[in-house]
Amino acid sequence: MTVMKQIEELYNERGKRARELHQAGRKVIGYFCCFVPDEIITALDMVPYRIQGSQNDPIDEADALLEPMACPFARSCFNMALKDQYDFLDGFVAPHSCDTIERMYHIWRSNKPSPFNHMINVPHMMGPSSDVFYRKELDYFILRLEEFAGAKLDQNKLRDAVRLYNRRRALLRELYDFRKADPPAISGTETTQVLVAGMGIPAAEHVKLLESLIAEIKNRPAPTADGLPRIFIWGNEIDDIAFIRLVEECGAHVVMDDLCTGTRFFWDDVPETPDPLDGITSRYIGTHCPRSLKPQTGLREEDLENRFGYMRKFVSRWRADGVIFYIVRYCDTCELEGPDLREYLNNLKLPVLMIEDDYSTSTIGQLRTRIQAFLEMIG
Amino acid sequence: MEANQQVKTTAVKGTDTARLVRGMVKNIYASAHEAKAKGQKVAYMMVASQYDEILRAMDIVPLPTENYAGLCAAKRDMDRFLLKAEADGYSQVLCSYARIGLGFDALRKELGRIPDGSPDGGMPLPDMMLGSSAVCDPRFKWYQATSRYLEAPTFGIDVVAPPPQDDLNEVRDYYIKYQRDQLQALIEFLEKQTGRKMDPERLWEAIRLGDRAWQLWYDIDRLRVAVPCPMPSQDHFSIMVAGHYYTGTQVAVDFYQKLYDEVKYKVENKIGVIADEKYRILYGGGLPPWHTLWIFNYFESFGAVFVIENVYRGFDPVEVPSHVKDPVDYLAWRAFLRFTRYHEKARARSGNPTVEKLLDMIADYKIDGVVFHACRSCRATTIGQVHIKSELGKYSNLPMMQLVSDMVDLRDYSEAQWKAQIGAFIEALQGRGK
Repeated sequence: MTVMKQIEELYNERGKRARELHQAGRKVIGYFCCFVPDEIITALDMVPYRIQGSQNDPIDEADALLEPMACPFARSCFNMALKDQYDFLDGFVAPHSCDTIERMYHIWRSNKPSPFNHMINVPHMMGPSSDVFYRKELDYFILRLEEFAGAKLDQNKLRDAVRLYNRRRALLRELYDFRKADPPAISGTETTQVLVAGMGIPAAEHVKLLESLIAEIKNRPAPTADGLPRIFIWGNEIDDIAFIRLVEECGAHVVMDDLCTGTRFFWDDVPETPDPLDGITSRYIGTHCPRSLKPQTGLREEDLENRFGYMRKFVSRWRADGVIFYIVRYCDTCELEGPDLREYLNNLKLPVLMIEDDYSTSTIGQLRTRIQAFLEMIG
Repeated sequence: MEANQQVKTTAVKGTDTARLVRGMVKNIYASAHEAKAKGQKVAYMMVASQYDEILRAMDIVPLPTENYAGLCAAKRDMDRFLLKAEADGYSQVLCSYARIGLGFDALRKELGRIPDGSPDGGMPLPDMMLGSSAVCDPRFKWYQATSRYLEAPTFGIDVVAPPPQDDLNEVRDYYIKYQRDQLQALIEFLEKQTGRKMDPERLWEAIRLGDRAWQLWYDIDRLRVAVPCPMPSQDHFSIMVAGHYYTGTQVAVDFYQKLYDEVKYKVENKIGVIADEKYRILYGGGLPPWHTLWIFNYFESFGAVFVIENVYRGFDPVEVPSHVKDPVDYLAWRAFLRFTRYHEKARARSGNPTVEKLLDMIADYKIDGVVFHACRSCRATTIGQVHIKSELGKYSNLPMMQLVSDMVDLRDYSEAQWKAQIGAFIEALQGRGK
């Protein structure tokens, strides 16, 4: 079986490995978003599991407990919990990343409590005092998690965990390098499978798979350039291949992203600091997410550069021809960020298609015409 | 039995003092224009951000942009602003307060002047914009987006509250320290903008006035436990203007003193909102339907009076420890105590501070039924209503109802749907034998 085939299986059966580990007596800690450090959970000999939804299944049971004007990704996750699809979780951790996740945490905890439940308050402001506060929140999280684990956090284990996750980050960046080629040596659809599969298994296992996959890709025959448009995707949660595949089926290559399920969660390393929690603090609080507010810098143009400059590198190095925003509906911070980012990218002469969607494969097909029209425009 | 269809947006008030509020609202925008003309600094700001008294102490005129959105809805002049924001790329599900604000600023930029006929003369250009993370996400993000339409320095602060399950003894110190650091950073920003240092004595004076006004407001609400109800929720949605938009001023203190005297008189003389009060209703949560406030009078036509509410409330008085001698420390402490007021109670029973607060209201105000208002574009005050309703159901068997529309966007409102729901709700109240 090829490595990609193994990854596909993990992607298709997302909770399977975590469930096995839970049944073998390991503690599996489910969490949301990009603000819960995997390193801490791993260093306490527990398994971090990034909670995902299911775009293929209707949200039915959750609607009785969670209003439909909440983010459908969050509702989908909660729906799965109500249907016992997350019964392998020994712990449930939510960062206060946005209004929906914060409020849903309390509803989830009340209706489907795990043996361990915790919320990490994450500052929205970025600055020195926010770093100090977030560090204190991590200290408190560790205290609670130590009680649950029945063990103290070992600094050396934490350093090892930092190295392990940095190794995974480096491999994922190496994987993304294959996408610079024309055409990319790995498709956006395959990349999504690799990322999502990795969220449900221990990092050490993901590292091994990535090493093998990279070797496998290097042996792939070099295809000839096809001249198809190269697309950069910006948005929030894409934990299903349906949308990326649709864009690629319409005649484009998805070559780079800034998504909660993409570069946003892995791109930057944790600095290896004498106190590993210092590096973890600065890395996680610096996550590029619309829910975090960078202090205003100078006038409009300078401020946009300060906020979005990191994406200039993404679009230039991966030679993007156009950008598609995929915003899961009801994400207020993305909805407010979108027009600013569109202005910034338009100034870079990049066309932008803004899509707001319901996080459902049943509606994604309706987007085909809009995507085709956009690709024709930039093609 | 059904009342005649009403076409106006506002409600008939229960108190005379509440009728003074319209002038106070007009004055917010008029005084901001006057201040601009005199060279005084004017700031876009967010209600309940815990920084109100700082602005007063520094002679910065607050311009509450959310209130302006509510005003536009009450005047049924919101569509041109909503549609402009949507044309500029803002989603129809984004906070409609923000959409109105963005649409207003977008139109002003396009026209080069305040859009003609804007309610109460429109908002003058601010000298700065002060966001905060208190209550919801759009409140710290909105002004960042507004910088697309106007050049004014923008600053945001975090306003933090621990989850109810946290051990307050473990987290108290660093929460208060962070809140203090955030407020101090704001003061430094304001000092830079005004070119003046903040005077701690002036801040103390504003705090004293703020606390006095809010204590009076709290006392008024405690008077409302009386049967019949002396002041209904539609009055609350007017009189909150003093507490939220005149915080830290003598104006607010004088207003609440006058209101207190009137409500007390009504209680002593058993003067209710309506002649025959049959049902006492709790407005359980959600922003008010500014576009259709007359709906409260519609309930009254069935003998149902909204006697208390759980939105835009003043914070209950809290006792900041006497060792706190610095006014900024005081503000940080006060914020923490306000936000954790029901935490211990929640930990002991339901796990949910809002449920505990509502249960207290149900008992104290002799409530017969609970109504929530789900706003399609407000995540912060809407998500959790169904859950809270279900949790309340564990401790009480009152009829409860969730009406759905939006705080300002009329496109999400259906009068026929509401009237049908209200009819069923009244029947449920009747079925309880009152």
